[in-house]
Parts: sequence; structure tokens; C-alpha cells
Amino acid sequence: MTRHHPDSLSLMEYSAGNLSEPHALCIKLHLDKCLSCRSRADTLDSLGAVVMEQQPRVSVSESMFDSILARIDSSPAPQPMAKPAPRINVLQKLLGEDINHLPWKRQLGDVSVMDITDRFPGQQEQVVLQKLVAGGKAPAHTHRGSETTIVLQGAFADQKGVFNQWDFVVLTDQDEHKPVAVGSEDCITLSVLSAPIKLTGTFTRLLNPFIR
Amino acid sequence: MTTLDKKPARGEGRKDPWSQLLVKVGKNQDRQAYHALFEHFAPQLKYYAMANGMASHAEELVQEVFVSIWRRACLYDWQKAAASTWIFTIARNQRIDMLRKMRRTSVEMPVETEDLWQIPGEDDNQPVTSLHRLMSERRVRESLKHLPEEQITVIAKVYMEQKSHQMVANELNIPLGTVKSRVRLALNKLRVILQDQNV
Repeated sequence: MTRHHPDSLSLMEYSAGNLSEPHALCIKLHLDKCLSCRSRADTLDSLGAVVMEQQPRVSVSESMFDSILARIDSSPAPQPMAKPAPRINVLQKLLGEDINHLPWKRQLGDVSVMDITDRFPGQQEQVVLQKLVAGGKAPAHTHRGSETTIVLQGAFADQKGVFNQWDFVVLTDQDEHKPVAVGSEDCITLSVLSAPIKLTGTFTRLLNPFIR
Repeated sequence: MTTLDKKPARGEGRKDPWSQLLVKVGKNQDRQAYHALFEHFAPQLKYYAMANGMASHAEELVQEVFVSIWRRACLYDWQKAAASTWIFTIARNQRIDMLRKMRRTSVEMPVETEDLWQIPGEDDNQPVTSLHRLMSERRVRESLKHLPEEQITVIAKVYMEQKSHQMVANELNIPLGTVKSRVRLALNKLRVILQDQNV
């Protein structure tokens, strides 16, 4: 049972499709395991539909429907998509193997990290997996910019509480914390760190590759 | 549609007309139903594409969405989402996909858009009750009628123009905190805010 959830504003930006891929990943992993947030996200998707419905309409070119039909007819047999195979877990797809057997880099004492930023080409944020061995302590630290984290395995505790598997937490540079891995498993988290150069807004972030 | 709106709670499980059409497309590859959906949704989708800065690709986006609707209609489950919600999520994902393709580097991305943004009903891991989902769109439509204009404006900018809260604040020349509180008030009315979160 998750107790720490994404806030509604982030969920709305997710539903609108405005979040970067790494941030969307954190939210999606949480939604897959948290029914109440899944249903909030469903409501927000409906909000998107209703908002779209209330906007002005722009007529499309007259030939468009015919070209769509032509495309449909040209595709091999009107064999509609079969029931899709169950999606491979997105983490597995991303990492290729069990999170416990990754080439972790030992950092400080009980902490290991693995940078997976390169899995998200063209993004401005740093994406890292962090592992705190069971019972281990991380040194006190603050975060540059903001850090969005989801717990993938195990649990950690800091002065704000206990964060279990699939819990979602956002820390800013105001938060100093000293996490301790609790429970019998190593605690593994996925974190998205905002870029050192802070661009304003998601849209700029999306456009940035063009500008460079 | 307006007549359905008046139905009592027991009628919530009824399909709205667009969902009925979409089911026909999925079951019988009904082209007439498909055309009716096109007439209704294509102009909305074109505005959606234009509003979020894809003017030169607007018709392309509409086409992609409709081809996708045809191919996926057999997966559509009216009990999991109303047609308009389902189509909105397809449009959102197509837009994300198009932006991804435009900025694609030589490196392949291991994660697809749909691994990150799901189309309702296409992942059966979700036991959320159908009634809940259906009600949610009706409830949203109803609640939205009673929201003050300033709250709707902010929400529309986020959904239609893909603006972050910060960008909306800059554009309307109001503090970020004001934008956020307007959104929170609106989401509170829509009951999206979790009970343990403060408004």
C-alpha cells in the first residue's frame, strides 16, 4: 500500500502529456500500483477530453477522410490489432535485467548508483538508480534543483517518514535528508534530477534539441 | 447526449452516442460510424494540434489519430472509458510520438510512448471498476460547468497549449502560486485531490 503519492498538479501535467519522459516514467510506475492515483489520472484524462470538446473547432480539408480510408485499405488486410501481448514491464524494457543485478557503481559506503540518463536520449534531466544496502545509511545531503523519486524495491526512512515500494516523493533543494534503508531488502530508487541549467517549462525542454 | 445527461445514476452505465459508434467500428469495421466519429472529432483534434504549436503538422496529427482509432477500435471497451476520453488519450500519445520523432537522435529509445502514457482499457492489469470510469467523464463535464472562468482558462492552457504552470503564470502575468491555487481549487471540485492533500 503506497502512502506517498504524486500531487494533483503533476498528475495533471502528466495527463496533459506535458511531462518529460523520465518524469512520466516515475508517475506511470506509481499509477500501475496505486489504484487511487490511477483513478485520479483517469478523471484527469476525461478532463482533457471535456476541455478539448469545449474549444473551438477547425475544419479539416475535404479530402482528408478519403486519404484516411485509402491508408486503411492499403494496409495489409483489415486485420485489426490483435489483443496486444501483455506489455513487458517498462523497467525491464529499460534496464534489460533484474534491478538487483545491474552494474552498480559503489559510491559512498552503503550507497551504489547507476546512471541511466542515456536511456532517454534528448532529455535534459539526469536519471539515476540508487541503491542503499539493507540497513544501510546514506550520508546527509540536499538536492540540487528538485529530485523526483520512486521507490522500486525495499523501503527507506528519513525524518519525513517511511517510503515503501512504489511510494513517490519530490525533494527540493530545501530538503536535507539522511535516508536509512529499512526492512530486509536493499532499497532501490529511481530518481529524476532537474537539469543543472534550469530551463523554464516543459515546452522549452521539448524544444531545446531544436535550438541547440 | 443532452438527454443522456439527465438520466439518473442507474443510467450511468449507458453508452453515450460516440461510444456506441466507436463500438460499432471495433466490432463490425462500420465505416459509417467511423465517418460520424470523424465528423465530430476531427475538427476538435485539428484545433488541439494547432493550439499546441503543431500548426504545420495539424492535419497529419488528425490523420494519425484516426488511422490509430481504426486499428485499435477492436480493443476499445466502452466500460473502461468514454469514446471522447479514449480518443483524447490517443491524440495526446500521437502528439508526444510526433514530437519524439522530430527530435529523434540516432539513438533508439528503448521506451515507447505507450509504456509511459497508457490508453485506457488496453492494460488489463487494472481492476478499476468500469462504472467509476464512466461516471468520471460525466462528473467532469458536469463539474466543469460550475467552475469560474479563470480556473478553466488555466486548465485549458495546460491541456491544449501544453504549457507548464510556470508558463501560464508568465503569460497571464500572475504569480505561480495563483496559477497553482486555481488549478487546485478546480481539481478539488473535480475530486482529483486526494483527501490527505491540502488545497
